[in-house]
Amino acid sequence: MAPDEVIKYGKADYRILKEQFVLKGIPSSVGIVIGKAIVLQPETLISPQTKVPDEEISNELLKFEKAHTNLVHQFMQSLHKVRSLGSNIVAILETNLLILTDPLLYDAIIDKIKSGFSVESAIVAEFDNQRKFFLNATDALLRERANEIDNIKRKLLATLKDQCIDFVDVQNAIIVAQNLSTTDIVNFKEAGILAIVTEIGGITSHSSILARSLDIPAVIGVHNATDIIKTGDEIIVDGFSGIVVLKAKEEIRQIYVTKINALEEHKKSLGVLAKLPAETTDGKRISILANVNFLDDVRLSEINGAEGFGLVRSENLVMELKEFPDERTQFNWYSEICERAYPKIVTIRTFDLGSDKYVEGLPIKEGNPALGLRGIRFLLSRKDIFKTQLRALLRASINKNLKIMLPMISSLHEVEQTRQLLEICKQELRNEGVIFDNNIPLGAMIETPAAALISDGLAKAVDFFSIGTNDLTQYTLAADRNNELVSDIFDDFHPAVLRLIDLVVKSAHKNGVTVSVCGELAGHSAATEILIGLDIDELSVAPSLLLELKNRVRNLNYSDAKHIAEEILNSNDYYEVRKKLEQAIGRHNLVEISQ
Amino acid sequence: MTEKLVKVINRSGIHTRPAATIVKLASKFKSEIYLIRDKFAINSKSIIGVMTLAAEQGSEIIIRADGPDEQEAVEEIAKLFENGFGEI
Repeated sequence: MAPDEVIKYGKADYRILKEQFVLKGIPSSVGIVIGKAIVLQPETLISPQTKVPDEEISNELLKFEKAHTNLVHQFMQSLHKVRSLGSNIVAILETNLLILTDPLLYDAIIDKIKSGFSVESAIVAEFDNQRKFFLNATDALLRERANEIDNIKRKLLATLKDQCIDFVDVQNAIIVAQNLSTTDIVNFKEAGILAIVTEIGGITSHSSILARSLDIPAVIGVHNATDIIKTGDEIIVDGFSGIVVLKAKEEIRQIYVTKINALEEHKKSLGVLAKLPAETTDGKRISILANVNFLDDVRLSEINGAEGFGLVRSENLVMELKEFPDERTQFNWYSEICERAYPKIVTIRTFDLGSDKYVEGLPIKEGNPALGLRGIRFLLSRKDIFKTQLRALLRASINKNLKIMLPMISSLHEVEQTRQLLEICKQELRNEGVIFDNNIPLGAMIETPAAALISDGLAKAVDFFSIGTNDLTQYTLAADRNNELVSDIFDDFHPAVLRLIDLVVKSAHKNGVTVSVCGELAGHSAATEILIGLDIDELSVAPSLLLELKNRVRNLNYSDAKHIAEEILNSNDYYEVRKKLEQAIGRHNLVEISQ
Repeated sequence: MTEKLVKVINRSGIHTRPAATIVKLASKFKSEIYLIRDKFAINSKSIIGVMTLAAEQGSEIIIRADGPDEQEAVEEIAKLFENGFGEI
């Protein structure tokens, strides 16, 4: 490995890491673990042409039937274990089971064995045969199924060779494999593994998502891991930076041991916080909410003491499925989040697509996508898609803990059009006899200067505001947030941005509407004090930042914060703002101001 | 032998989840059940078969069953199609 590849990852420790045997991968599930590796070898090459003598055919058939029965049993057990984890994972495992028990595939393998091929050959030949259909499919989702067929084949071959690892052995071990199926991960977790290292797999793959929800540290995409790492090696898996360290010297081992201890300590001390209220030293209460990308985030947030869910990014469902999900799929997802969160309130943002988030069905080329057909504009231009989503949201509102939030509002008309569409959906559902929350709250995201400037009028038309600071900053300062050339101009702390926020809060409170901030600014250590000083009611951040944020709130003084906010609002120069912030930060001995 | 012509009406067509639903239902019947599209027939108890049908919204499919419970089988599977696999 080239030294500079290591440097990309390490921070303080890269000098020492450079001298170690370090494998680079993709961080997929956080956590650091030191332990013994168990390497699952990919199957050795099996020819689909191996024949056996006639007298062995009946024995081959028996071997196949036994392995098949065992594997079916194993699949059913995994299915049983994940029932509680949510419908997505259950559906994946159910499909795997249906493929394994597919009568066509089963009969084809039996026929092949009967015609004199070895059981391994028959399995490889027939599975690969079916796999070809999928690989050639025009549908991307079907092509992905080819991988699953491969996984099932491998498991069947492993079962056949009686190579199924004894689960007792994997306790406290790190599994190193070419690829792991969701079934494998569930079983390994049950057996007590510490971490996972795989050669392939994407950060959004089912296996990655499952590893995160089961709290198993994982590094994926480590090339040749099963070649380089040997069973019994002690390895360090760093799920934060995506590296695996082999044959670590004592020096680096110690660094990691210290890190692990520090992590534990930190978790423990913050853990106490989870149950305490987010209240400043002078008694001002702030609501601390969590942003949700996946179902698993709900549980993590609850552990970290979230009081609700301020932003569920529903477009993640579209990005994950690579198509617009139908009403049923959306309904299932929304209700699952609402049920898991109940009685806490869940704010679901309607699909925020366009600009940097592209899916099929969007106009392909826009000269300036950030100023184009995105957010609410796209939804109102595709009422079919919008209506499907609103219906699914209404149906999921049965427990009255769901709020709908509209992205990229820039005019009152957009809210009115949405209200009309919402009324049509309600009427339809009433006619169908479906129950829903008739008073479902509707909110607007304030992401454009236009919305901020007409917030007085908007506040009368909606039930809540949520400020998206990233876009508000980019549009106010006319600086593309993804363009490095203007990154020094893009600054959430610019007095112009803060004055808009101040205006929004004042319009909102005058009309009895709450304001939350759910952009990156909410999680920014330096911003907490200003936002509280500006009288923001709720802050919504990633689940992992919840406790840090609460810790900061509890160390703040509201009247000091108000004072600082006032001073900053009155300045015109953002360098001045920075200076004031640094002073404020210095007072609380908090982390560095620049990211 | 019983037959019925149905149409795929749900927007995303027969993708993995509807395919699994069809197979699970079809497997409950004793009859042999085929789905026929453009003269291409597949066994409805095979998930691989049903998935490779790749039937998108609007495609027409003949459900054909042969056996002791053929009437019931065709009716019940037709219902799945008519309800858009519960995705509407």
